[in-house]
Amino acid sequence: MKYLDTTKGKPNIGLALGPGVNEFVSEHPELVDYVEIPFEQLRHAPEVASIQEEIPVVLHCASMSVAGFVAPEGATLDAIADAAAHTRTPWIGEHLAFVSADPLVVDDSTTPSPTNLTYTVCPQLSEETVARVAENLAALEARFDQPLIIENSPQYFEVPGSTMPMVDFIGAVLKRSSAGLLLDLSHFLITMLNTGRDPRKDIEKLPLERVLEIHISGLNKQSEIVWDDHATPAPPLIFELLDLVLRRARPKALTFEYNWTPHFPESVLKAHLQRGRQALGLS
Amino acid sequence: MKASKVHAVVAAALESPALITRWQREPQGLRDAGIEPESLNLDALGKFAGLTAKVKHNGLRADFPLTFRLLNVAGLEIELFSAYASYCATSGKRFAATAAGRVQDLMGFMEHWLDFNRHEHVLLWDLMRHESALTTLGNVNAADAHPPVSRDSKARVKRADATPRVQGTIILREMHSNPQFVGKLLQKKAPPLHEVELNSYHFCYWHKEGGEEIDILELDELGYYLLALIDGATSVATLSRMIGGGSKSSKVILRALGQLAELGIISGVRRPVGALTRDVRLPRAKSADRSAHSKK
Repeated sequence: MKYLDTTKGKPNIGLALGPGVNEFVSEHPELVDYVEIPFEQLRHAPEVASIQEEIPVVLHCASMSVAGFVAPEGATLDAIADAAAHTRTPWIGEHLAFVSADPLVVDDSTTPSPTNLTYTVCPQLSEETVARVAENLAALEARFDQPLIIENSPQYFEVPGSTMPMVDFIGAVLKRSSAGLLLDLSHFLITMLNTGRDPRKDIEKLPLERVLEIHISGLNKQSEIVWDDHATPAPPLIFELLDLVLRRARPKALTFEYNWTPHFPESVLKAHLQRGRQALGLS
Repeated sequence: MKASKVHAVVAAALESPALITRWQREPQGLRDAGIEPESLNLDALGKFAGLTAKVKHNGLRADFPLTFRLLNVAGLEIELFSAYASYCATSGKRFAATAAGRVQDLMGFMEHWLDFNRHEHVLLWDLMRHESALTTLGNVNAADAHPPVSRDSKARVKRADATPRVQGTIILREMHSNPQFVGKLLQKKAPPLHEVELNSYHFCYWHKEGGEEIDILELDELGYYLLALIDGATSVATLSRMIGGGSKSSKVILRALGQLAELGIISGVRRPVGALTRDVRLPRAKSADRSAHSKK
């Protein structure tokens, strides 16, 4: 088994696990230092862990509902802890989002249990949520041997009751927590474009010194909204933002999330990995 | 507005997009749930439900690369999948467990949802049925195909009594565009889809018995409808009657059958002199490159 060593100070480049990644990693070991695997995938298809015989694994997660008001099940947290121990992931990346919510009363019927989604949703951006996230993170950090890092959500619409923009929300959360930042540049740009803000200005407002890992994927505008798209190459502006971030940040990892399609062009993937290495000063 | 209440409303709507439609119709329902209707963009929420539905269909991308490329290029991804998510929620339908099931369900929905007056919808429907045919035939086990019939035996019966049968497995598709041409356009950075002129096409996707390849034949209407009627039990005379040629097999039909026999796609009838089409073989493994075809 191989494990990622992040203590040497050298940043690492990784790929999110997806179709074709096993083959790519075997053919181009010099381009990829680790593979990022979602805990949920490991839980439902434990055989994917075998890739760690070839390459180290970083654990990603979408089950803790960090920005939610319904706590995750203890069994889920135990399983995350087991997966983290087994993979010896240097940290656990989790979304600054919610996946579970209180049941909604519609007419006379009450959903008997919380609503559990299988994907993360941008929370209300408010002081109330900031306080809740701080509480949740404090409780969660105590359960794991590895540090938690939190990933900014893409914002597709204004969440009712929000009182602050995304950058302020992230900043407020990090002020109240010791967690690191997993800066998803694509999520960030999506949020900027959908909320009419200037990405070059707002990126400077983030606590970039807290960035431990960076995510890059594609995005695309459909039906008047800009969406996350892991089947599309990141646009040049993402790399411009990467360069801006790296003026202040010293991340330990940069992950390319091109994991939605087996037909992602290999030439583009190689070029982006090289571009990432160049930005991090690795080549 | 309390954050927990807002999350409850958003999560409930995403889990059951039928609520979105209902609240659009009756905003008071949203107010009753504790949310001011003007504070929540229900249209955007419905589109987000579409994104999640799209992501849950990523497993189809391996077999439907051109379909997904067209959806992306034409800006139809969210429009299609948000409508599909809403339909599934309203009808209580869950996404199928297998990729094949998801394809079948999605196509069943699309057939009714697509607006065939919209150029890009027509292209999408043709392209999806094209890739569906290739996928279906790609999964055909040679042992499942019809038993081989010796070519030597087929010309030994009287013409009218002859009973043609298909050699292998075929899928017939009537289309308004040529998906292979559209597929080539989609390789471009900015595909000029508006240049695709709609017309009438008749395609036969053919997996030969024991073969490793899938052939795509473009046929004329007579060849197409003959193939649609050939079932291994219907005689040439009956076929001729069914197609409107009278009880006596017409020369046109006999010639068409002979030409199909020449291609090797049917057996049980006499082969003519000269070939009807030029046949191009397509390797099954190269799904993205299945763009060659035969043409009359």
